[in-house]
Amino acid sequence: MRTDVLDQSRGGMWAWLLQRITAVLLIVGFASHLISTHIMAIGELSYDNIAHRLASGFFVAMDVMLLAAVLYHALNGARMVILDYWLSAKAQRRALSLALWLVGVAAFIYGLWALWPWIKG
Amino acid sequence: MPVATFHIKRFDPDNDDMPRYDEFSVPYEASLTVLDGLFYVQEHFDGSLSFRYCCRAAVCGSCAMYINGRYRLACQTNVRHLDGDVITVEAMPHMPLVKDLVCDMTDFFAKYEYIEPWLMRNSQDPAKEIGQTPEERKKLDMPIDCILCGACYSTCPSVWGEGNYIGPAALLKAYRFEVDSRDEARKQRLAHFDNEHGAYRCHTITNCVEACPKELNPTEGIQWLKRAAVRRRLFGRLK
Repeated sequence: MRTDVLDQSRGGMWAWLLQRITAVLLIVGFASHLISTHIMAIGELSYDNIAHRLASGFFVAMDVMLLAAVLYHALNGARMVILDYWLSAKAQRRALSLALWLVGVAAFIYGLWALWPWIKG
Repeated sequence: MPVATFHIKRFDPDNDDMPRYDEFSVPYEASLTVLDGLFYVQEHFDGSLSFRYCCRAAVCGSCAMYINGRYRLACQTNVRHLDGDVITVEAMPHMPLVKDLVCDMTDFFAKYEYIEPWLMRNSQDPAKEIGQTPEERKKLDMPIDCILCGACYSTCPSVWGEGNYIGPAALLKAYRFEVDSRDEARKQRLAHFDNEHGAYRCHTITNCVEACPKELNPTEGIQWLKRAAVRRRLFGRLK
């Protein structure tokens, strides 16, 4: 076995740490999302009622944070699964990370666009 | 005298197309171990049966095998302690096979060597021995018992999927030196485990904990290495 391929592998700490941090954000974020949507009565789940809730800066910030956390957690999770079975070489791993970052940033911008009327205030 | 049926998985890559199971009847008394049974088979039935052994006292790690569906050391597994009189003996699964019960451990030891499993020091050694408090020594109690049998490596799904993952045994050994108060490797060994072929490929599946015949906890050691990498890289703490 050639161990020099192992020498080319650097990093991974940030991905590991951010996966844990986003996991905590998701637990807290989803819990408050579900509680505020289904338990704290805002009446019927209609566009008007949700739009009214999103008028609060807190809920907009919460939604943007959840969007970023979900995207990072899901795409990094997918990356870990792919790397578990495939793509061991450095260049391939980099290409995969780049592709997933592009997908993530595009999805984040799309999410911001959907929330834009409330972000703008 | 009771008789045990040894059901042994045989395969010779040079001559066989497919593995097969051979059956041998082995009479046993109270103290017969599976390893003794294999010697009996070799002496009385088939001299070509291949297996590894050395110390016969559960300290060398040579005779790790898959016995009745579990990783065990053949030398410390008493036939009477197994359920029933049919004993299935196989080589450790998910490993390249040399012959019969002998696995190819080349990658395992290359990865083990890669993490530099020895004490590294930069400072001048004291005139006598390097002192250690009982508390400092206590941290070594768990990882120091590893006998490098390879059971954890063979059972780890991350190793099956990613052949370049250095695996639980090598990482447990890295942990053993990282928690050693006498070791001063600092950044040198950190570079070997603080990457995605190292500690971060461990997804805490804990198969290794279940498989270890010495009842060690490689997962705990690997989690410690991840936390140590964060402490060092973000906060600059060296130990």
